[in-house]
Amino acid sequence: MTIATLASAPKAAGSTVIAEARPKILLVDDRWENLLATEKVLKSLQADIFKASSGNEALSLVLRHDFAIVLLDVQMPEMDGFETAVLMQEHESMAGVPIIFVTAISKEDKYASQAAAIGAVDYIFKPINPDILKSKVKVYLDLYVQREQILHLNATLSQSNEELERFAYICSHDMQEPVRMMNAFAGLLSETSEETLDEGGRRYLNFILDNARRMQKMISDILTFSRVGREDILLETVDCGAILDEILSEFEDAIQGSYAEIVYDPLPSVETSSTLIRVLFQNLIGNALKFQNGSRPPKITVAATPEGRFWRFSVRDNGIGIDESFRTRIFTIFQRLHRKEDYPGTGIGLSTCRKFIQLCGGEIDFTSAPGQGSTFYFTLPRKEGRSHEAV
Amino acid sequence: MKPFKILLVEDNEGDVEMTQRALNSAEPPCSLSIAHDGVEALELLGLEPGPASDGKESPPIPQLILLDINMPRMDGKELLDAVKSDSRLRHIPVVMFTSSESPSDIRECYERHASCYVVKPFNGRKYAQALHDVVNFWSTTSRLPN
Repeated sequence: MTIATLASAPKAAGSTVIAEARPKILLVDDRWENLLATEKVLKSLQADIFKASSGNEALSLVLRHDFAIVLLDVQMPEMDGFETAVLMQEHESMAGVPIIFVTAISKEDKYASQAAAIGAVDYIFKPINPDILKSKVKVYLDLYVQREQILHLNATLSQSNEELERFAYICSHDMQEPVRMMNAFAGLLSETSEETLDEGGRRYLNFILDNARRMQKMISDILTFSRVGREDILLETVDCGAILDEILSEFEDAIQGSYAEIVYDPLPSVETSSTLIRVLFQNLIGNALKFQNGSRPPKITVAATPEGRFWRFSVRDNGIGIDESFRTRIFTIFQRLHRKEDYPGTGIGLSTCRKFIQLCGGEIDFTSAPGQGSTFYFTLPRKEGRSHEAV
Repeated sequence: MKPFKILLVEDNEGDVEMTQRALNSAEPPCSLSIAHDGVEALELLGLEPGPASDGKESPPIPQLILLDINMPRMDGKELLDAVKSDSRLRHIPVVMFTSSESPSDIRECYERHASCYVVKPFNGRKYAQALHDVVNFWSTTSRLPN
């Protein structure tokens, strides 16, 4: 199963990388016996332990390694723990690395506050209770490993996002071209050689033309979907009534052909993206005209009412309706509920609508009675007077 | 009437064929030169020496350039820059004729002073009609007094 292999491959690769890079712990203490004792306590943790017996030695290790956590003795000759910590934090790789101060002396609060000011996450006293030390260090190690995993996942995600963007580019520039050529020359052939072709030949030519058209529609729908979120959304005052009129004239043939009746009240002007309104009306009106069983002429009602901080638009039809069990599938990309022979489509339209409207701060949903019709609702934030504010 | 001189810059043989067919029946009659990428176009326009300009006298300056965007060696935007920065050529109207509907392509071409941006229609008849409209408009414009 190729698909299963592909799907599990990134996970397997990810865990290998993390298993290879064990987190590193740095122990700093001027007394060797303390270092050995602490090492023994922490040995069972899944980490590599580095030991330094002076502040200088610790600093040189910090230059060469990325540590998950540092345990730092406060009382050391030459450079004490606080000085060492300050110098360590000048190094870029130490940003965000937890430091635990360990000390035998003074349980006074002022040392603890000094340690906190330097950025220590914890402060523990000798004699060390091995269980407490171990469980504290384990918490920080777990945090470190989780953070590394998230960073790794983020890198994988942004890589696949880039691949997706490249894919959309290939769709627009390289795939549209050959499909357009196929359609154009098959069209020319059917115009110029209609008589010389036999019935089979004409049928095959029509297959080519039909499929080229379907492929073109799929490519342009995928492009629209992938552009949403990639390109900046331009907010402006949009006359929704004017856009509805434009869309209705685009559907003029379908409306006249099916004797459809379109009813709508005056629609408001809304501060939003004109492309969004166009995409919504194109898909909702298109679907309302398409999903009909032909027993009666389509009747479509478009309305908008203010509702709190939102405008609520509705597009109601008297078509075949949608079964309640399809509620979640209907807005998912490439999900089609019908055979293409019955109702053609790419399964991209409503998912584009939802992706786009959510980016603009609205929502889309529907109610339906199978056999009687559906009503699609969408909301858009009302931002009256916003355009007068100096932004 | 003298034919209307057009330079078509297009790498796709299918598009060259479609454009030639469309312009055969255009009004006014057109004479078409073809460059297959930006570099060949520079040679035909006399901006660069090269095989396309070799052995010919100073090439005729077209009255209209039909320009694709996505081409090997030198793309349409680069050629547009070259044409618009040459004092001898910058008056020639350049009509972008491309399959890209990308808003950034459209913006960048107008910023580079393209005269017009036409997306190649998918339908063959509309493709020919779009070219007829372009030729009709720019040949009329070229006859207007300056």
